[in-house]
Amino acid sequence: MGYKFKKQIFGWMDLLRFKKLVPNREKHLSEGSEKPLPTSYKVNEVAAILHLGLQKATLTAIKEETKDTKAYTFELSLPMLFRAGQYVTLRKKIGDSLVNRPYGVASSPLESLHNKSLTLMIKKAGFFSDYLFDNAKVGDEFEIVGPSGFFYYEPLTDRKEVIAVAGGSGITPFLAMAKAIVEGQEDFHMTLLYGANKEEEIIAKDELDKLPQDKIKVVYVLANEEKKGYEHGFISAELINKYAPESYTLMFCGSDGMGKFLNGELKKLKGLHNFKSEKNAVGMRDVKPATYKLTVHINDQVYEVKASNNETLLVSMERAGLSVPSSCRAGGCGFCHSKLVSGKFSIAGADKRRLADVKFGYIHPCVTYPDSDMEIIVPQAK
Amino acid sequence: MNQYDAVVIGAGNGGLVAAIRLLQGGLKTLVVEKHNLPGGFATSFRRGRFEFEASLHELNDFGTEDNKGDVRVLFDELGVTDKIEWLQIPEAYRVIVKSENLDAVMPFGKQAFIDQMEKYVPGSKKSIQHFFELAEEIRTAQAYTNKAGGKVESSYMVKNFPNYVKTGSYSVNEVLDALKMPKKAKDILNAYWCYLGADCDTLSFTHYASMVLRYITKGAAMPKMRSHEISLALVERIRELGGDIWFNVAAEKILTDKNGVSGVVLADGREIKTKYVIANCAPHLVFGKMLDNVSLKDIKATNARKFAGRGFSMFLGLNKSCDELGITNHNYFLYDTMDTAKQYELMKKIDTNYAQATVCLNRAYPECSPKGTTIMYFTTLYMSDDWGNVKPEDYFKVKDKVAKMMIERFEKDTGCNLRDHIEEISIATPMTYAHYCGHPEGVIYGYESQYWDGLNPRLLMMAQDHTIRGLRFAGGYSMRLSGYSSAYFSGDITGRQTVGDFKRGE
Ligand SMILES: Cc1cc2nc3c(=O)[nH]c(=O)nc-3n(C[C@H](O)[C@H](O)[C@H](O)COP(=O)(O)OP(=O)(O)OC[C@H]3O[C@@H](n4cnc5c(N)ncnc54)[C@H](O)[C@@H]3O)c2cc1C
Ligand code: FES
Repeated sequence: MGYKFKKQIFGWMDLLRFKKLVPNREKHLSEGSEKPLPTSYKVNEVAAILHLGLQKATLTAIKEETKDTKAYTFELSLPMLFRAGQYVTLRKKIGDSLVNRPYGVASSPLESLHNKSLTLMIKKAGFFSDYLFDNAKVGDEFEIVGPSGFFYYEPLTDRKEVIAVAGGSGITPFLAMAKAIVEGQEDFHMTLLYGANKEEEIIAKDELDKLPQDKIKVVYVLANEEKKGYEHGFISAELINKYAPESYTLMFCGSDGMGKFLNGELKKLKGLHNFKSEKNAVGMRDVKPATYKLTVHINDQVYEVKASNNETLLVSMERAGLSVPSSCRAGGCGFCHSKLVSGKFSIAGADKRRLADVKFGYIHPCVTYPDSDMEIIVPQAK
Repeated sequence: MNQYDAVVIGAGNGGLVAAIRLLQGGLKTLVVEKHNLPGGFATSFRRGRFEFEASLHELNDFGTEDNKGDVRVLFDELGVTDKIEWLQIPEAYRVIVKSENLDAVMPFGKQAFIDQMEKYVPGSKKSIQHFFELAEEIRTAQAYTNKAGGKVESSYMVKNFPNYVKTGSYSVNEVLDALKMPKKAKDILNAYWCYLGADCDTLSFTHYASMVLRYITKGAAMPKMRSHEISLALVERIRELGGDIWFNVAAEKILTDKNGVSGVVLADGREIKTKYVIANCAPHLVFGKMLDNVSLKDIKATNARKFAGRGFSMFLGLNKSCDELGITNHNYFLYDTMDTAKQYELMKKIDTNYAQATVCLNRAYPECSPKGTTIMYFTTLYMSDDWGNVKPEDYFKVKDKVAKMMIERFEKDTGCNLRDHIEEISIATPMTYAHYCGHPEGVIYGYESQYWDGLNPRLLMMAQDHTIRGLRFAGGYSMRLSGYSSAYFSGDITGRQTVGDFKRGE
C-alpha cells in the first residue's frame, strides 16, 4: 500500500471519532423536532398556481365581440399565475367526445391571480367553438388546464420596444400583454398593429381604445375598408417601417396566411432585432380518406378506436372519449408524449420531438396522422 | 391488475434503476410516475432549433470500455449501456474566482491533474499525490461497505482501511490542511464542492475525495441525446423485463398494517396491493403526507435533516458558434471566493448569490446544435428557502433578474458577450423543480451532506434507517446522497435489498 495517513489530526482520537459516526448520527436524528412534518411548502404552493393541472372552471360571462368572436369569462377554482401571452386548454365532454382546445388568455395576469377570473377570446372556427357558440351558457362547468406556452415578452432577449402584429383573434395574447404592462407585470413599450378586414371585425376595440397611449400605441389596419383614422391594406414591411423605432422585437399572432405574408416581408424591415410568432394547433390533412384501427394502452387498460387518416391520433382518441393529455396541439410541448408499439405514421409540419424520442419510438399524437393500423401507449390525462 | 410484488414511486434515476433490479430479481413490478416523462431531473426539452439538457453537466464514474467506472459496470449489469451513445467530456473544469485572481483549467487523468496543479502551484505535487492515494483507499472501503449493506465490523475496517477510518470523520479542509496542501492548490481542488452542496468546512472528506477521484481517473461522460436518452433506455429495459410503468400517475398514500407496507393509493383513488414500496422521493413527503400513523422516531429523524440546495438554471441557445463567442471550455465554476463557507453564506440569498456552474455543451459535443450556434446552461443552488419569500406577483421579475445576474457574471469573468446572441432562453427556478419533481422547496440535491449526515454515517446506518418493513428509499434523499451516479447507485442498492427482503419473506 502506498501513502499512510500518519499525520493524525487529533492522534488516537481519529479512530474514536470514526467509531462515533453512527452514534453521533443516531443522536442527531433522535434530537429532531417532534413537530408534525410540514404538509406544504411556500415554493411548492407558488409552483402549484404556476403549473396548474386540471381544474374546474365555471363560465361566468359571455360577451359578443364581433359577429364570429365571443369573450368567455370563467371563474377558476384556484388562483392562476401566468405570463401574459400564454394559453390554457379548455376541456369539456361533448357527447361521447372529450374535447380539448388551447386558447390564448385575454385577461390580465393579476385578474386570475387575485380574482380567479380568466377570459378567453374564442372565434367560431370548428367543432368546439361551434358548440360553445350554440350551447354554452353562464353557469356551465368546464375544465381548464394550464397555463402553457412560450409566446411572451422575454426581457433578456427582447428589445424594450416591441412591435406586435395581430390578425383577427390573434389579438388575444397582446390584450393580456397590454393589460400586464398597465398593471406593471411587464415592462416594455408596445406598438400594436392590428389587422382586420373591416372595422366591425375588430375585437375588443373598447378595451384597446382605453389603453394608455404612452405605453401602448394601437394602430388599426383595415384590409377591405377605407376609413378615416385607420391604416389600410396588409400589414407590410412598409407599414411596419413607418411605425418602427430604431431597434425592436417583432411579435406576431394571426392566421397562417398572414404569417406567410409577414415572413416574406421580414428582410425588408429596418431595425428588426428578433422575431417571434405563435404557432397554431394542427388540424385536418388532405388525403384520400381511410380508416384504421388504433389500439391504445392507458395504464393497464386497452382500447380500440377508429382513426381516420385525415385526423390526428389525438383527435381520434378524443372522439372516442378517451381521457388523454394534450396542451399545445402543435407538437411542441410534449404533453401528449406517447410510445409507439407498431404502425406507420406521418407527422404534420416539422418534427419537434426530442432526439431520444425518435430513437426509442415515441410520438406526439397531436401532430401524428396514421398511415396504417397503429398501437400506442399513452399516459392518462392528468 | 391491482396487485404487484413491488411498487416504485417515482421514475427518477433512483426509481428507474431500482425497478430494473426488482425485475431482474423476479419481482412483478409497477412504477408510477406523476409526470408524463421518465427521469425526474434527467430529461431534455426542445425550444426552437435547440434541444436542451435539463440537468446533467457530466456523468461521474462512468469511464470508458477499457477504464470502466462503477456506473458503467452497473449499466452493463442492468443491460442498458449499449442502448445509449456516449461521449467523453474533454477536460475536468475551469474554475474562476476573479476577486482572488484564480483562473485554472484542470484536465482529467490523475497524472495530468497532478502535473497541471504543480504548474499552477509549484510545490503542491506531494500533497496532491497523497490526496489521490487516500481517495483510492476510501473508494475501496466504500465499495466494501456497499457490498456488506452497511453492516461492517469496525475492527475489520481499521485493519484493512486504516486511512479511511482515520479520515472518515473529518471535513475536506481538515484533511487537506493535515496533508499540508498549499492554499491555492486547495482552492483549485475544492472547485467541485458545489456539486455536493455543503461547504468544505462541513463536507465530509471521504465523500468529496471519492467523488473527485472518480471524476479525475474515470473522466466524465454524457449521453449524446441528453439524459433523456438514459431515462428512455431505462424505461425500455423495464418494459423488456415485463415491468409496468404508468405516467401521469401519482402515488398519494402508502398503506401499512401491523406487518408494514400493504399497498399504495394512487391519485385517482385506485388501490394497488403490494408489500414492498421503493420511494424515489423525499422522506419529508413520505412521512409528512403519504403515511398515516408515523412513529415519533421517524418524525424526529426526518425533522432533524437539512435540505440541500434549491435549484435554479438558465438555458441559452445562442446564434453564434462557441469559437465566435470565445467560450473555450466545457465546464466552468464561477465563484466569489474559494472560502467555501463564505460562499455558502452568499448562496443563501437571491440577491447575493452569484455563484454558478456553467456548461457549454458544444465543447463536449460540437454537433449538439446546428452549425453556428451554441448551447449553454447555467446552474446555481440556494442554500436557504429564500425563494419561499418571493410573492407570486413578483415571481417573473425575480426570475428574470437572477437570469440577468447569471449572464453578467459569466460575461464579466470570461470576457465573452452572450447577451447580444441569445436566440432561445429558458429558465428553471425552485418553483419549476418543485413542480416537475415534487421536491419540497425546489430542492435538487436531497439532504445536505452535513458532517453528521454525510456519506459514511448514512452508509453505515442503512439497516437502522429501514424503519418500516417493506419501505425503502432510492434517489437523492437516500444513503448515497445526490447526483446522477449516486442516485443510480441508490436504486441499485435499494432494489437489491428489496429483492432480498422479498426472497426472505421479510
Ligand atoms: C439543474 C441540475 C443540474 C444537475 N447537474 C448534475 C450533474 O451534472 N451531475 C450529477 O451527477 N447530478 C446533477 N444534478 C443532480 C441530479 O439530477 C439528481 O441528483 C438526480 O437526478 C436525482 O435523482 P432521483 O432519483 O432523486 O430522482 P428525481 O430526479 O428527484 O426524480 C424523482 C421522481 O419521482 C417522481 N415522484 C415524486 N413523488 C411522486 C409521487 N408521489 N408519485 C409518483 N411519482 C412521484 C417525480 O415526479 C420525479 O420524476 C443536477 C440537478 C439539477 C436539477
Ligand atoms: S399536445 Fe403539445 S406536443 Fe402534443
